[in-house]
Amino acid sequence: MVLSMVIIIVSLGYGLGALKRPGPGLYPFFVAVFLILPFSIILYILGTTSGRAKPLFIDRYGFGKFLLMILTFILWVTAMPYLGYVIVTLVATCCFCKVMRLEGWLKPIALSVGTALFIYLLFDYWLYIDLPRGILG
Amino acid sequence: MVNLVACFVGALLGTIVGVLPGLGPTATMALMLPFTLNYGPETGLIMMAGVWFGSQYGGSTTSILVNIPGEAASVVTCLDGYQMAKKGRAGAALALVAIGSFIAGTIGIIGLQFFAPVLGNAALSFGPPEYLAFMVLAFVLLSNLSGDTPLKGLLMLGLGLFISSIGINPLDSYPRFTFGSEKLMLGIEFLPLAMGFFGITEILHIAVETYVLPVVEKLRLKELYPNKKEIRRSISPIFRGSVLGFFCGLLPGPSTVISTFISYSLEKRLSKAPQEFGKGAVEGVVGPESANNSAVMGSMIPLLTLGIPFAAPCAVMLAGLRIHHVEPGPLLFKTNPDVFWTFIAAMYIGNIMLLILNLPLVGFFARIATIRPQLLMPFISVICLVGIYSVRNSIFDVWVMIISGVIGYFLRRWGFPIAPFIIGVVLGPMTENSLRQTLMMFRGNMTRIFDRPIAVTFLSLTLVFIILRISYLFLRRSSNRQEGL
Repeated sequence: MVLSMVIIIVSLGYGLGALKRPGPGLYPFFVAVFLILPFSIILYILGTTSGRAKPLFIDRYGFGKFLLMILTFILWVTAMPYLGYVIVTLVATCCFCKVMRLEGWLKPIALSVGTALFIYLLFDYWLYIDLPRGILG
Repeated sequence: MVNLVACFVGALLGTIVGVLPGLGPTATMALMLPFTLNYGPETGLIMMAGVWFGSQYGGSTTSILVNIPGEAASVVTCLDGYQMAKKGRAGAALALVAIGSFIAGTIGIIGLQFFAPVLGNAALSFGPPEYLAFMVLAFVLLSNLSGDTPLKGLLMLGLGLFISSIGINPLDSYPRFTFGSEKLMLGIEFLPLAMGFFGITEILHIAVETYVLPVVEKLRLKELYPNKKEIRRSISPIFRGSVLGFFCGLLPGPSTVISTFISYSLEKRLSKAPQEFGKGAVEGVVGPESANNSAVMGSMIPLLTLGIPFAAPCAVMLAGLRIHHVEPGPLLFKTNPDVFWTFIAAMYIGNIMLLILNLPLVGFFARIATIRPQLLMPFISVICLVGIYSVRNSIFDVWVMIISGVIGYFLRRWGFPIAPFIIGVVLGPMTENSLRQTLMMFRGNMTRIFDRPIAVTFLSLTLVFIILRISYLFLRRSSNRQEGL
C-alpha cells in the first residue's frame, strides 16, 4: 500500500499528460491505481481477518542459517572486486557448506577447491569471460 | 554441431534438474542464460527449451520411485506412479512414461511446426489495440491460474509491471523512479530478477528447511519392460494427453502443471475402472506425463508467434532471445526464420536424445536424487553469483539478484506466486507501448476499441472469464454455508 502511494505521487510528479498524448507518469500511475493499490488493500483486509499467518522460519536455527546464507552472499559481493573471483568463490563455497552443515572440513574444502577450479576453467578457458582476478593479478 | 551439443546439454541438464526436487527448470534456464551469450540465438533457445523439455521427462522418475515429485508438473504422477512402483512395476511405469513423453513431445513439435507459422501470419493483423486487449486477457487468466488466489496473482503482476517501468522511458527518454541513481537509468534487468526469485529463493528455502534424502532402490534394465495389458491401456491416454497438453500449453500460467491435472481427471472419467485410480492405474501415469511434455511445445506458440510468454520458462526464453536482438512475434518467420526452423529440427533430435537418455539411464538419474543439498547448493550458489556478474560485469546486478532472492523467500512463505511478477517484468514494456500507442491512435477516446473486432473478442473473453470466476466463487461460498448449516 505504501509502495503504491509512493508510485502514485511520483507518477503525478512526472506528469500524466493527456489521454491523447500520454505523459511518462501515466503508465505507472495506471498500474498503481488499478493493480497494486486495490489488491494490496483487499489482501491486507483479508489477511488481518483470517487469523495467524504461516511462520517464516521453522525455528531459530532456520533463521540463523538464513542470516548466514545472506551474509555469505554479501561477503562475496563486497570482497570479489578486491580479492578476485577465485579466492572469494573458494571462501564463499566453504562458508555455504558449513552453513548447510556439511560435516567436517575435508569435504567443504574439497568442494570449495573443486568449485573454484571448475568456475575458473569454465569462465576463463571455455567462455573467455574476463572476471576480476583481484590479488591474483 | 554446436546446436546438437547445446540440445544434448540442455536435455541432460533438464533431466537432472527434473529429478532433483527444489531447483526447477526456470531457475536452471535463467542460470544457463549467461552461458548462451557466446553463441547464436538459436543455440540459446535450443539449450533452454532442452532444459524445460528434459525436466518434464526427469520429474517423473522420483515421482514414481520415491513418491517425491521432481518438479511441479510431476505431482500428479505420484498418485499412481508410486503405487505402481510398490507393486513392483516401477520399471514398466518409467518405460511407459518415457515412451509416452517421446510420442507426446513429437506430437507437440508437429503441432508447433504447423500452427506457429499460420498463427504468426494471422498475428500480422494485430495492432497495438489488439495486443493491449490480448494482454489484458492474458493477465486476467494468468492471475487466476497462479498462486492461492487471483488477488495475489494480480498484485504480483502489478508489481512486475511497475518494476519494468523503472529507468529511462524509451518513448520519451524520461527517467522514471531512478531517484538520481545512474545504475537505475538502464532499468532493472530481467536476468538478475529471474535468477534471484527462482534460484536464490530456492537455495534459501533448501538451506532453511530440513531436507530428508529419499532412498532409491536399484533398477535393472531388464525390469523396464511393460506387459501387453499395460501397453494396450497406455495407447489412448498417451494420445489424449498429447493433444490435451498441447492446447493447455496455449493458456497463460503454469500450463504444464494444469495439463497434468486436467489429463488425470479426464482419464479417470473415461476409464472403465476408475476405482483403480490412486492405486496404480497406468492411465493415471502416462496420460498426465504425456500432457506435460506436449504442453511445453504448446507454450512456445504464444511466445514465438506473438512474443508474449505465458509461462515463466517462456519469459526466460524471451529474455534470452532479446539479449541476442531477436524479437519473437509475427515477424520472426520473416526476419529470422532460421531461428524457428533450427529450433524445430533440434527439438525433434532432442526428443530422441531424451528417450535414449531416460530409458537405459533411468537408474543413474534416480541416483542423482540422492545427492545431498549440502553438496549441491553451495555449488549452485556460487554459479549464480559468478554467472550473473559475468553477463554485464555489474555488481549492481548481483545485488539485485540477492535482494530478489530474499524478497522471493518471504513472498513464497506468504503464498505469493512469482510467475506473474516475472511475466509482468517481461511484458511491461510491451504493455506500456501498446497502451500509449492505442491512446494516441484513438486520440484518447478508448471507446473506439469497439471498432476493432479482434480486440473486442479478447475483451469479451476477459469479461466472460471474470464473470464465470465470480459466479464460481459465489456458488462455492453458498454451498459452504449450506454445508455449515
